[in-house]
Amino acid sequence: MHMPTQSITQEAYEPWYKYGVAFLTIEMVIAIAVSAYSLFMTFHGLGGFPGKH
Amino acid sequence: MKTHKIEQLIIATVGFFWCFLMWFSTAAFSPSIAAHYHLSIKALGLLASSAIWMAPVGRILAGWAADRFGAPRTFAVILAVCGLVSIASAFTENYTLLFTERVIVAIAGVSFVVGIQHVAQWFNANEIGTAEGLYAGTGNVGAGMGALVLPRLFGTDYHAAFLWLGIIALFVAAWYLLRGRAAKSNELRDTARARSDLRSTVFVWSRYIAVALMLAYAMSFGLEIAMNAWLPGYFTHGFHDAILALGFKNVAGLQIAAGTFAAVESFCASLFRPFAGFMSDLFQRKGWTPLPFIAKSLPYAPRLHWLAIALILITFAMGGLTFAGLTGSLHLSVITLVALGIFISFGTGGTFALVPLLFPDRPGAAAGFIGGVSTVGGIVYPLIFAAGPNIHMGYLYVALYIFVPIILFYFWAARYERHPEEHGIFTSALAIDKA
Repeated sequence: MHMPTQSITQEAYEPWYKYGVAFLTIEMVIAIAVSAYSLFMTFHGLGGFPGKH
Repeated sequence: MKTHKIEQLIIATVGFFWCFLMWFSTAAFSPSIAAHYHLSIKALGLLASSAIWMAPVGRILAGWAADRFGAPRTFAVILAVCGLVSIASAFTENYTLLFTERVIVAIAGVSFVVGIQHVAQWFNANEIGTAEGLYAGTGNVGAGMGALVLPRLFGTDYHAAFLWLGIIALFVAAWYLLRGRAAKSNELRDTARARSDLRSTVFVWSRYIAVALMLAYAMSFGLEIAMNAWLPGYFTHGFHDAILALGFKNVAGLQIAAGTFAAVESFCASLFRPFAGFMSDLFQRKGWTPLPFIAKSLPYAPRLHWLAIALILITFAMGGLTFAGLTGSLHLSVITLVALGIFISFGTGGTFALVPLLFPDRPGAAAGFIGGVSTVGGIVYPLIFAAGPNIHMGYLYVALYIFVPIILFYFWAARYERHPEEHGIFTSALAIDKA
């Protein structure tokens, strides 16, 4: 029978984790930048992602 | 063979990205296919909807296969079959045959649960949220990339696109098979394989917490794919005059504007998903359990609270969409939509930060059930959105009559302070020790 530990453990992250967080931060910045650009273009009647100009 | 879990994460993510690219490649070229075969609007709608047909049942089977045969073999078979059929479809000139082939290629969409299982077999409990988020969020971008890049790269030549997508899929399949390893230890691998029987599957399906997570994923990912299909039409009809006032003068312009609003929601839902996994890890590290009723002492209790917060935010955002629509403000509606996209990512990332921890011995079966059945939401929500007399009211109806009951059920199912996975129907007959 699987018996998970009944307490919240505090484990140190491995070295890869900080690069993972950096990568997901880049993804968020891309999402915000593309969204802002696309909405700016669209609200000015110019099209935008994924439309044509 | 020496490997590292990051290599396994990269292999899974690339495989998933390519599968999602293939999954939505038919939709990216549907105008060209429609023009080539002189399809009616009805036939075009059928072609567009065919992408999702295989997901519910296919994901359940794929999850079981990942536990049984290991993720690398399962993923490689999916990539190879879809790749070969994609190549065949590049040379097809009969529409019925092409339609059948593209439905088979759409099986690529089931690969999601295989990668979830693969990543779960490699990463530790304290980092699983970020790892699964990076896998699923980055891979999901493949769907958006299909719509954005493929038509620009290949123009209207969908034959060439299907050919190259298929060829590269075969290379990715070979890579997955050569370098992929099912689990970080033989013990984990053997446990998953031993639990891949029917009894174990029934066990997962009958757990209250598994049903709650499936419904949570239907509230998030199910809503995401529903919105992908629904939003272009919603903005075209619901904000017709407001979009024309922006300077878009014809049907093509309306489609561009409405498509952009829909794409932004989808883009945020995908690219914020790794952040959602990170937040789940952060809740876990800090031990945050702010909500009442939900368990506070389970080893993953903070993750349960984070997901509950995501579900509440999604529900409020849906109400906000109705409010914004009724005010007639296009700007407010789009801003609410962006927020909804981010909240949806919180839900998708939060759900699969929990699944491997709740069912560590059955990661594939659990991922298949939760990731598969929940896609039915993609079919149900648009029907409700379209059913009301006012096009803006559907979001509120879904929020009140579907999402609020789901949240209440989630709170109820997540209240157990010890082993919530042991609570369900058929509990005594399916006791874990006997499984």
